Amino acid sequence: MIHLESVSRHYKMGPTTVKAIDEVSLLVGKAEFVSIVGPSGSGKSTLMNIIGCLDSPTAGEYRLAEEPVARLPKNRLAEIRNRHIGFVFQTFNLLPRVSAVENVELPLIYAGVSPKERRQRAMEMLERVGLGGRETHVPSELSGGQRQRVAIARALAVRPEVLLADEPTGALDTKTGSEIMALFRELQNDGVTLVMVTHDPDVAALGKRIVQIRDGKVLLDVPVEEWKR
Amino acid sequence: MKLSKFRESLSMASRSIASNKARSFLTALGVMIGVGAVIALVALGNGAQASVESSLQSLGSNLLIVYSGQPRGASLVRRNTTNIVPTLTPEDISYIRGLPSSLVVSAAPESSSTAQVKFENKNASVTVVGTDTAYPDIRNFHTVYGQFFAEQDVRSRKLVAVIGAQVYRDLFAVGSDPVGQKIRINGTGYRVIGIMEDKGSSTQDTQIFIPISTYQRYIAGSSDYAMINVQAASPDTMRELQRVIEDSLLRFHRLPNMDAADFYVANQLDLLSTLQGVTGTFTLLLGSIAAISLIVGGIGIMNIMLVSVTERTREIGVRMALGAKSTDIMSQFLTEAIILSVGGGLIGIAVGLLASWGANHFLGMASVVSLGSVFLAFGFAVFTGLFFGGYPAYRASRLDPIDALRYE
Repeated sequence: MIHLESVSRHYKMGPTTVKAIDEVSLLVGKAEFVSIVGPSGSGKSTLMNIIGCLDSPTAGEYRLAEEPVARLPKNRLAEIRNRHIGFVFQTFNLLPRVSAVENVELPLIYAGVSPKERRQRAMEMLERVGLGGRETHVPSELSGGQRQRVAIARALAVRPEVLLADEPTGALDTKTGSEIMALFRELQNDGVTLVMVTHDPDVAALGKRIVQIRDGKVLLDVPVEEWKR
Repeated sequence: MKLSKFRESLSMASRSIASNKARSFLTALGVMIGVGAVIALVALGNGAQASVESSLQSLGSNLLIVYSGQPRGASLVRRNTTNIVPTLTPEDISYIRGLPSSLVVSAAPESSSTAQVKFENKNASVTVVGTDTAYPDIRNFHTVYGQFFAEQDVRSRKLVAVIGAQVYRDLFAVGSDPVGQKIRINGTGYRVIGIMEDKGSSTQDTQIFIPISTYQRYIAGSSDYAMINVQAASPDTMRELQRVIEDSLLRFHRLPNMDAADFYVANQLDLLSTLQGVTGTFTLLLGSIAAISLIVGGIGIMNIMLVSVTERTREIGVRMALGAKSTDIMSQFLTEAIILSVGGGLIGIAVGLLASWGANHFLGMASVVSLGSVFLAFGFAVFTGLFFGGYPAYRASRLDPIDALRYE
C-alpha cells in the first residue's frame, strides 16, 4: 500500500543542508498497523508528512496504492490526499464553529459528493465511531475523546485506504486514549492501513509493527512482539 | 468553475460570514457607505444640473438677447442689465422682426433702470423695464392677475404699469387689489393694470413693466434700446440667427467687426452648455469623492480578509490536508469577499436611494437618481470585492499545508 524507496527530504538552511529524513525505505502492506516512534527531531513528522502527501521528497520514490506520487504537483497531491488518506491529529483540528456532522462532511465536499449523499455518509461514519445522536453538536460541546472520534469519522468519510494518525492520544487521558486505540484496531480489522506516529512507547506498542526513526534514518523495523523484548 | 462547486463556496462563505456577524457588518459598512455616497451625491449633482436647466428654461425658450455695449462673453444674464447706455435702434429691431419666420418668432425691445416707486406712504426700490407686448411670450413671464399692457398702450405712451410679485408684496396689503391704483415712479403717476407671476427670483420679481414708448419719454429720453429679446424659431437655427443678427447690426452701425461692436449677442444654447459644463464638473467632483470612499471601503475588506486568513490559517491547513486544492481555498475566500462587497453594495444602493429621497423631501434639494450611477456604483463594489479580496484569497491559497497545520 505504502512503498517508500530511498526517500530523502533535505532542507537547505543557508549553507548547511538539514537531512530531515535520509534514504528511508519502508513497505507497508494493506491493513497493517504500523507505529512510527522516535524522539522529537528524529524526522518522524517529516516522514509522516511525506507519507501523507503533504510534502514531497527531495529524492527517492514513493508509491501510494501503486501510484507514483513523489513528484506530483500540489493540486494532484490534494486529490491523492482526499481520495487515499485520512488524517487524525493530536489536537483534532476540527473546525470550531461547525457541527460534528458538517466537520465529517468536509473531505466529501472536496471529493465532489452531492450534499444529500454527503450528509448520509457523514451520519454513517459518526454512527461507526460511536457518536450517533451527537451530529449537531459543535466541537466545544464535546469531550476530548468525542472530538477525536469526530476527527476519525472525518478521516474515514471518503473511505481512504490509509489512515495517518499523528499522536492521536496525545491530548487524551489514558482511558479515552485506549478507547481510541481500540477503535483503530477495529478499523484495521476492516482493512484500513494504519500508520501512527507517537513518542509514547505504551501507545506505540498497541500497533502491530514498530518503525523506529533516529536522525532521519530507520533504526529498527520489527513486529511489536520483538520490539517489546 | 462547476455550479456545484460554486454553491459549495457560497455556502461555506456565507457560513463564515454568519459566524462573525458584527465584523462582517462593519466590513460591509465601508462598501455600503461608498456605494450609498456615490448614488446620493451623483443624484444631487444631477439634481443641481436639472434645476439649473429648468431655471434657464424659465427665462424663455430659444432665447437670444442682443445687448448694448461691448461684448463680454456668452452671458445671457448680465450682472447688471439696468442703466445700460442704449445703442440698439428701432431699425435694428424692425430688421430682426423682418427676418424670415424660419429664423425668428418675435422680438421685444427692453430698456431698464433702477427707480424708486411709491404707493401711498410705502416705498420700494425697483427696476423699471420698458418693453412691448411681445415680451411676456419671449421671456416666458406672464401676468397672474390683471393684464400686460396692450399694443394700444404702447402706441399712445400710456402711463400704465405691470408690477412684479415682490413689488406687489412691498407696496400693497396682502389680498388687496392693486389694479386701478396709482403708483408713482420718479414722481410720475402710473395706473397699475396687472401683477406678474412669482418667479422666485429677486431680480425678476422686483421689476415694473411699462410700455417702451412711455419709458423713452418719461424715464430715459432716448429712442434707442438697451436690449432686444429675440425668440428664435428653433434651437437648430439659433447659431445661424445669431450670425445673421451680428452681421446685419455691424453693417447698420457701420462697424468693421465684433471686436469693435457696440452690441453683443448672447444665446441660450451657449449659456446652457456653459452651465452644463459647470454642473457636470460638479457632479464628477462629487462622484469622485464618493468613489474614493468606495476604495477606502475596499481597503477595509482587504484588511479584514487578511486578518481572517491569518486567524484561520489552521482551518486552511486542515482543509488542505483533507483534499482542498488551492483553487478551492481561493474561491472560498474570494466568495466571502464578494458576498461582503455585493451585500454591502445592495444595502448601499438602498441607503443611496433613501438619502437622495431624503435630501429632496426634507431638505428640498433637487436630486435625480440616475440608473447609470446605481449600476456603476454596484459594479464598482463587485470589482472592489474581487480586487481587494483577491490578494488575501491568493495568500490563503498559497499557504503550505504543513506550516498551516502547525500554525498556533
